[in-house]
Amino acid sequence: MSFMSLYSYIIRRLSYIIPILVGVCLLIFFIFNIVAGDPTIILLGKHANPRQMAELRHELGLDRHWFIQYLDILKSAFTFDFGRSWATKQHIAPMLKLGTWVSLTLVIPAFVVTSILAISTALLAAFFRGRLIDKGLVVLTVIMMSISILVYILFGQWIFAYKLGWFEIAGYEYGFPDFIPYIILPAMILVLVNLGSDVRFYRTVFLDEMYQDYVRTARAKGLSERAVLFKHVLKNAMAPIITNLVIQIPAWLLGTLLVESFFGIPGLGGITLNAINNSDFPVIKAITILSAVSYVIFSVITDVLYTLVDPRIKLS
Amino acid sequence: MKNLIKIGVLVVIAGSLWFYIKSKQAPHIAQEKVLLTVSNAQIQGLDPIRVRDNYTVNEATKVYEGLLAYHYLKRPFELIPNLAASMPTVSSDQLVYTFTLCEGVKFHDNPCFPDGKGRELTAHDFVYAFKRLADPKLQSLNFWLVDSKIKGLNEWRQRYIDAANVDYTEDIPGLQAIDRYTLRFTLTKPYPQFLYALTMVPCYAVAREAVQYYGAEFMNHPVGTGPFMVAAFNPLDTKIVYHKNPTFRDKYFPSEAAQEYKHMLVDAGKKLPFVDKIVTHILSEEQPRWLKFKKGQVDIIDISRDNIALEVIQDNKLIPALQKKGAQLFSALEIGTNFIVFNNAHPLFKDNLKLRQAMSMAFNGPKYNKLFYQGAAMLAQSILPPGLAGYRADYVNPYRTYNLGKAKQYLAEAGYPQGKGLPVLTLEVVTNSTARQKGEFFQKCMQAIGIKIKLVENIFPELVKKIQTEATMLHAITWTVEYPDAENFFQLLYGPKQPGGVGANYDESASMPCMKKQWVCQIHLLGRSYMSDSTKWQQKVHPSFIYFTNPLQPFTKDGSKMLLLQTVLVA
Repeated sequence: MSFMSLYSYIIRRLSYIIPILVGVCLLIFFIFNIVAGDPTIILLGKHANPRQMAELRHELGLDRHWFIQYLDILKSAFTFDFGRSWATKQHIAPMLKLGTWVSLTLVIPAFVVTSILAISTALLAAFFRGRLIDKGLVVLTVIMMSISILVYILFGQWIFAYKLGWFEIAGYEYGFPDFIPYIILPAMILVLVNLGSDVRFYRTVFLDEMYQDYVRTARAKGLSERAVLFKHVLKNAMAPIITNLVIQIPAWLLGTLLVESFFGIPGLGGITLNAINNSDFPVIKAITILSAVSYVIFSVITDVLYTLVDPRIKLS
Repeated sequence: MKNLIKIGVLVVIAGSLWFYIKSKQAPHIAQEKVLLTVSNAQIQGLDPIRVRDNYTVNEATKVYEGLLAYHYLKRPFELIPNLAASMPTVSSDQLVYTFTLCEGVKFHDNPCFPDGKGRELTAHDFVYAFKRLADPKLQSLNFWLVDSKIKGLNEWRQRYIDAANVDYTEDIPGLQAIDRYTLRFTLTKPYPQFLYALTMVPCYAVAREAVQYYGAEFMNHPVGTGPFMVAAFNPLDTKIVYHKNPTFRDKYFPSEAAQEYKHMLVDAGKKLPFVDKIVTHILSEEQPRWLKFKKGQVDIIDISRDNIALEVIQDNKLIPALQKKGAQLFSALEIGTNFIVFNNAHPLFKDNLKLRQAMSMAFNGPKYNKLFYQGAAMLAQSILPPGLAGYRADYVNPYRTYNLGKAKQYLAEAGYPQGKGLPVLTLEVVTNSTARQKGEFFQKCMQAIGIKIKLVENIFPELVKKIQTEATMLHAITWTVEYPDAENFFQLLYGPKQPGGVGANYDESASMPCMKKQWVCQIHLLGRSYMSDSTKWQQKVHPSFIYFTNPLQPFTKDGSKMLLLQTVLVA
């Protein structure tokens, strides 16, 4: 595929963001302006009175025509200028940027370790398919998937941080390498939480590949089982592996809500939780929009990566 | 061989990193006294006019100060001068309050001032602070504190609602700095509770230079006159570090106390503050807070009912194992009332006193207290909680005693023997697990006399809307004191404030005038008879806060001192 066609493909796919964002903004507008309660009552609390509610509505721009308000949301979605948080009065964009960096310090090591462990374990299970080690791994992954993340957090924090004192109980320090002691235990918990489902998924992918004609041919040619597995099966399974890996990234970034809350890590999860607790609508809106955008971007990255791992795939 | 070298290099790097981290974490020999506290919720910036919740108030009072404060060792609460040199002089018509400020009080050293040296506090700083509170562009949610109370302030606010900029140089007749140290408030009508407002964080002094220097980020760069200062603050952080303010004025530990606090006078006359540094960890989850406390990484913690209270308290006392470790338990009543409101506008309750009384007596208060407060709360006899002037400890409400037999008898007299003929009643609560559990308890109590209760959960705005429109039959509410005056509770019986006010029936022109202090007792009696007769309010309990101090820090072994550090020194 030429560079130009790849380039035009990316541009075309990214242009899909426009109708998606228009739809997401409409949904956000509907939820926050029609379904949810009056934010001025939430903000003013027990001292809400009609006059001050009207003044606050005016100051927040909630008394403008609904279409203008919708356009405002749409504008913020395309300019990434989400204004200021109602709760902390901070600019939302830098706030989310800082939160993203903090979340990344936790998520990147957890994501990398989970992916390496999951792919290796799945290969091992596929290699020993039907045997005791495979059956044992299947049972283990099902158990791991069945346990709630809260159990991992509460137990891990109590045993490893409090009783054994190996890790920090909670907290976070900015800057490398100061943050490391604070992210080891939560990262390990994230690995355990995600490992079970990933191993099951990759094992299925590998097993699917192992019954393909090219594998039979490779074996007929006398290649060792190890060579078949690593040189042929792994390479051909890369497309679904990449799909799973890349599309998981946004979910990893926003899905660490509970872990961040229990370990006092000021990342995106904590920002989301605080925004929900404080009815901080501008922050919730910003996170919703950015999630939609990141899903589109990461799905494009997935498509592009397909062409790199499998020359048979052409983007059109 | 190459692989071995690579592994070796990796091991050396990892080892060095490990030693670096460990050396940074190693406990330094404590030269300074550090108080380690914890906040259960995010701190949303330290701008006084934006402070709303108790957690943020706890933090802001370390940095900022007001004209008046409470004497923490006296009950009922007593106002004392703080940044004011003395209590104000009040005109005979109760409209003009004149304050003289302490001289020589300095703002924290900060880059916002020339040469970074904090300048002296003057009366103009308070004028500026009150204007900020009323600034329509800033939309402080605490404006209610001064709303319609200071002469000319509402008009000033109104003038700038649609303007691009607000003119702070414009004079307001009711808010004047007479000279450098004299501040005069002129009220629109007599309002004795105004002095209480002055103890609250939104009315604290701020420096114009700091607001202008930091602009919108002022809330993250607090500059006050208080005992502690913070270099920079980020609402996203999970830790705030305060250092002792080296220019803090001479302030001493009180030398007078109510009987129950006399034992705390061992420190009478000592200079404040006692600690050099305060570190506040912000942890919204209970387990890490509790584990940090047990590990000695937090000195003082409040105990919640759901989990750790079971591990700590038995029969309102510390369990023996913790007593042996030297831990101390402090229990203090929260000045608030937890109650269920009958909507008297509803035809079922309007003219049926016996029905309301039957329901009140069917409510098992002692069991409720044990289940939800470990027996540490106090069963309410009136809407007025203890700690306020006017509270009568000897008053026993005849309809607040749990008596199932009598409740059944009253229900029959109300025309609904064993609940027959009575439709299902709805109890509206706010959506959260504790409120739901409490509602379910009420449901069970009423079931015992044959009354069926349907529980309806509402998000807070929805519940408020229903109360305002009198759309509830019964609703559960908690009211916590905002200022220690009985008026703050009795206004719920006649005022427009929701939740719990009489809503649409409120007629401002016919409402009670602002109360004078000497009226409080009379009004209390009035309220008492009102409640005895009509049982509009079914009081449940005055909840409690429980504190527990850490035995691990040597200088915090005296738990009473810890409480004082939290209150007297910091506020």
